[in-house]
Amino acid sequence: MRRKTGMLAAAGVVITLTAAACSSGSSSSSGGNNTTTNAVAFNAGVTGTVNASTRKGGTITFDNSSAPDSTDAGNTYYAFNLNFTRLYATPLTTYKACTGACGDQVVPALATALGTATDNNKTWTYHIKSGVKFEDGSPVTSQDVKYAVERTFDRTVLPNGPSYFASLLAGNAATYPGPFKDRAKNVMALTAIDTPDPTTIVFHLKQPFASFNYVVAFPQTAPVPPDKDKGTNYQLHPQSTGPYMFQSYQLNKQYTLVPNPQWNPSWNPQVKQLPSKIVVNLNVNAPDIDNRLLAGDIQVDQAGSGVQSAARARILSSPNLKANADDPITGFMWFYYINTKVKPLDNIHCRMAIEYAANKTDLQTAYGGPIAGGDIASTAMPPTVRGYSKFDLYNALSKPGGDIAAAKQQLQQCGQPNGFNLNVAYRSDRPREVSSSQALQESLASAGIKVTLKGYTAANYYGNFAGVPNYVHSHNLGMAAGGWGPDWPDAYGWGWALFDGGSIVPAGNTNISELNDSAVNSLFTQLEAATTDSAQNSIAEQIDKKVMQDAAILPAVYSKALLYRPTDLTNVYVQTYYGMYDYATLGLKS
Amino acid sequence: MISFIIRRLIAAVFLLIIVSMVVFAIFFILPRWGGQTTYGLATEYVGRNPTRSAVLQMIDQLGLNKPLYLQYWAYLKAIVVGGHYGTGTNSVYCPPPCFGYSFKNQQPVWPAMVSDIPVTLSLAIGAAILWLTAGIGIGVISALKRGSIFDRFSMTIALAGVSLPIFFTGLVALELFSYKWPIFPNVQFVPFTQNPALWARNLVLPWVTLAFLYAALYARLTRAGMLETMGEDYIRTARAKGLPERTVIFKHGLRAALTPILTIFGMDLGLLLGGALLTEYTFSLHGLGLFTIEAVQNQDFPEIMGVVMLASFFIVIANLVVDILYAVVDPRVRY
Repeated sequence: MRRKTGMLAAAGVVITLTAAACSSGSSSSSGGNNTTTNAVAFNAGVTGTVNASTRKGGTITFDNSSAPDSTDAGNTYYAFNLNFTRLYATPLTTYKACTGACGDQVVPALATALGTATDNNKTWTYHIKSGVKFEDGSPVTSQDVKYAVERTFDRTVLPNGPSYFASLLAGNAATYPGPFKDRAKNVMALTAIDTPDPTTIVFHLKQPFASFNYVVAFPQTAPVPPDKDKGTNYQLHPQSTGPYMFQSYQLNKQYTLVPNPQWNPSWNPQVKQLPSKIVVNLNVNAPDIDNRLLAGDIQVDQAGSGVQSAARARILSSPNLKANADDPITGFMWFYYINTKVKPLDNIHCRMAIEYAANKTDLQTAYGGPIAGGDIASTAMPPTVRGYSKFDLYNALSKPGGDIAAAKQQLQQCGQPNGFNLNVAYRSDRPREVSSSQALQESLASAGIKVTLKGYTAANYYGNFAGVPNYVHSHNLGMAAGGWGPDWPDAYGWGWALFDGGSIVPAGNTNISELNDSAVNSLFTQLEAATTDSAQNSIAEQIDKKVMQDAAILPAVYSKALLYRPTDLTNVYVQTYYGMYDYATLGLKS
Repeated sequence: MISFIIRRLIAAVFLLIIVSMVVFAIFFILPRWGGQTTYGLATEYVGRNPTRSAVLQMIDQLGLNKPLYLQYWAYLKAIVVGGHYGTGTNSVYCPPPCFGYSFKNQQPVWPAMVSDIPVTLSLAIGAAILWLTAGIGIGVISALKRGSIFDRFSMTIALAGVSLPIFFTGLVALELFSYKWPIFPNVQFVPFTQNPALWARNLVLPWVTLAFLYAALYARLTRAGMLETMGEDYIRTARAKGLPERTVIFKHGLRAALTPILTIFGMDLGLLLGGALLTEYTFSLHGLGLFTIEAVQNQDFPEIMGVVMLASFFIVIANLVVDILYAVVDPRVRY
């Protein structure tokens, strides 16, 4: 299941800025692979590296108002932690250390190259680099990678990570219990993964899957030595294969990383070993994190979701502070599902009337405005997804206040010239969603569409209400607020669970529009088997346009977040996929 | 006196058992009355995308399929002799005193709580010394100088102290003395054993913030008590005997005025030792208060039960100590 609201996911940067980011500016050998180094300025970290440096030493302190779901790389799903775990866990592949579209590229990390696909994308082979060692000096083998994947099958021990391996792999994957119970029998017993020699690992899938290089970029493929695995407690001291290793960990309070003496930069060129210590404080009061960040007491807010409103006001009103801030698109998107089965929305013209009538500027304001909320969206995919192409079918950009005349025309065609009654579901414990739903109610009223708002708690939203088609039908929920971030930045990672007819399930449904368009379904099937970038991008663009032509989703904003970079940080830039600063390349001036 | 203490200790143990029963009922019986099923309860512990087999395993691991009285007995027994959670190779031993096993954190509850006690203890004791000194001192002076500028000024400040919430005064204190004028920069808990000076420096703001609220309360209480006591006949008699004014005030006046304050102090300190939630949250101090907040946010029932039991223990013990002190101050309560 893809990451949903609350788990800020993959992210990115406006594509239009990308060309500049990757093709011009002065050359730099540090700060990841960015070719641009920028002087300190607002949004300088969105287009290139700020304070590029190779200086070593110092302590970088991260604060987090919460705690990671787990520090075990095999048991985490939060975007910030996928970013952070690269400091001590090296998966087979990873995302390139750069900004813009460049940062969406998946590149080899532990593997010597991206996977070799055979058997129509059903078999994927990787070779791991020679000489890679764990922090205790023992060599890393392909069996350690296989074991790392095997252990993620036991959801009673490691419940938090994504479950793609269980759903994609062939062999005994459907029944394999994981290696923790009956170890003598179950360790190395997952038949869908072969390790013919210590440096080769072969994944056998039950169906073609072109995006598999993205799947193995999850840190679940970072090697784990079976004899050191302590199940859930492995997170207290995971065996490092990255530039840092655990020195101490007080659960839910603080953990400290120090340089891994075994580390060799050739193991993973996307990460650096610059500070001499990294401290992470957990469960810190959120407003205090912003104060500590602005005071220079800490260097990074680990959650990476942006400063709170008080700090935002301070930063934006002070030119000095603003020069040290970035406002990237995070990759997350806020929108409203438009159900294609609930009457009268089963008529496409009624859905189109909503698309035209909604006041996008009001929605943007409700989500936090252009800085903290995001840019007005006109597509079903955010700009950070590969294959994105800007288009505006319903005048969201040309008439952001709403096109009531066009909406009324559609209502005529729909057979509802005076409008209709509509129930809209939203999460009542999310203030921004409450505001946006009220704004939607007001703007649709201008076209005669009378909205009744139906609030539900976020915890049960997908499980019991908006994500249960029977409930949606019996309560005539024509629209439902939603938010989404992709697990990987291609159209499949973004949209399969939202728009493919095969993703509709009786509960926990994320295709709340219940879109089951054979053309869209066929495009997703083609995407699974597509082998070239150009073919994948072309299909992605077609999916985006077809979904918008179906008017199955009312896009609201491409989410943005205001990030602050203290002046003493070096090699700071927004890594596109994570939608926040790249935590694996940071250093300190002094 | 010894029999009095023994009687009170036995009563305290019974009280704790009753508290444990009530807490257990709240977490394991009430949710079922509200429609929660065993399966639903176990789902809370299996993370996202729980499969049926994982949930069933968790039911077995948590013992949720056993009768409630057996679950309660297992809970009590584990506190005394420890307990095993789960079965087979997946079994985890929780040594005594085992206050349950957190399946969210995959750790026994007790060690996690114990590691937080020094933080709460440092905060509560330091603040208590401050508020007792300031509160009683100001209260006595205000009572003796009733109607003076000092009295009016201090009682106005006390009213503000009682009215302002800690998350407000705490944030203001941080903003002024940690960020604007960094007299106490980078406030975070440093163990006393590691660096006593830094321990004290980093706790000054939390102490003052917490003490501000309580000192205000105690100043008003002391003032009222002193005014009442100083109007008693025996005070006039003491003065008529020619006793020095200092003796009249401290030995005869304050001692009598202190007895109700002692009772309240026991309750307040006991409550605080169970976790100064707002202060710890405001200053990001990882004590029992923050532990409680995290447990509630995570819906970690074993942790919540554990911390409630520990807080009850502190309150019962603090009251026991107060009762004993009360008996010293006023011998009538011994009989």
